[in-house]
Amino acid sequence: MKDLKLVVQRFDPVKDASPKMVEYAVPKREGMTVLDALLYARDYVDHSIGLRFSCRQASCGSCGMKINGRPRLACYTQVEELGGEKVVAQPMDNFAIIKDLVTDLGSFFDKHKAVTPRLVREDGEEQERPTGEYLMTPGELSKVLQFTYCIKCGLCTSSCPTVATDERYPGPQALTQAYRYSADARDQGGAERIAALDNSHGVWRCHFAGSCSYVCPKGVDPALGIQLLKRHVMTGKPPHAKDEASKVWKAPESGR
Amino acid sequence: MRESRLMLLQYITALLAVALVAVHLLTQGIIYPYSTAISFGTILSLYRNGLYAIFLEALLVVVLVHGFNGVRIILHEWRQTAPWSRWVDIGTVVAIVATVAFGSKTVILAVFGGASG
Repeated sequence: MKDLKLVVQRFDPVKDASPKMVEYAVPKREGMTVLDALLYARDYVDHSIGLRFSCRQASCGSCGMKINGRPRLACYTQVEELGGEKVVAQPMDNFAIIKDLVTDLGSFFDKHKAVTPRLVREDGEEQERPTGEYLMTPGELSKVLQFTYCIKCGLCTSSCPTVATDERYPGPQALTQAYRYSADARDQGGAERIAALDNSHGVWRCHFAGSCSYVCPKGVDPALGIQLLKRHVMTGKPPHAKDEASKVWKAPESGR
Repeated sequence: MRESRLMLLQYITALLAVALVAVHLLTQGIIYPYSTAISFGTILSLYRNGLYAIFLEALLVVVLVHGFNGVRIILHEWRQTAPWSRWVDIGTVVAIVATVAFGSKTVILAVFGGASG
């Protein structure tokens, strides 16, 4: 089988003045992913290639990078689906480069934290000493389910044109998670999130380019989430019925 | 003012502008032929129609608010420092007030006979 031409963008901000493209020949095998090819190059050709990965099954979101010009997960992209001849790996756009394909996700996670990505409840006592479970109906779950699939890989943010120009814009990942929690029937923190996002660099700066939804490897539609979030912020009303949030289901006595 | 209120204003003025500009263009074609619609006498007679003067004033305000608010949004995306944002907001209000006042002066003078045909 013919070798794969693997081109990697190399750049060490400490030593290099500018990035350079370096080509490696990698023996192809059936079912090879881009991550497999990169690991082969790193293990057998050049140990100094910097890349980040972990689960190898599109669950952890560590190996996000730009592959043949499009943000993708290296572990989830087959070499064959790219034509099998040449693969170009570059770091994600919109992030500072730490080294080669490793980008700095610090501000990405800071923006995620800033939208309070957790259930906010008024019944602190119930949370400290639970007497039951917070209920969700299948209908309520379906409103947020797709948004819970986010693995925080950063691909959506790297593809966003607004993030490229406005460093204070939270980005599609954070905004979608803001909607995911505000639309959760068990949540009561919508007002807190609105206060953080209803400003001149917040949710309204989304131009609905839709590139975030196009590149998401988990099938999440952040562009939809942001539009739904806009409605929530505009009306100030929670996307779910208020009284649903206070339900606590208590398990019946077993009688044993 | 909260950004959501400004965006609501932006959406409302966009819809109103579409409607008012459409009425403006259609009126020109229906009441007067296009060839005479922009003659000085025709325009002055329109201004002296009270209802049409109110309509023109509304069109002026709607288009200027929408336009300058749109520029404000672009300038906010251009740079993100706090002083820049503050001056963009102040500048937008000043620009809207100044241009509405200037445009209104024309309408008011025409309505109350400041200009003659």
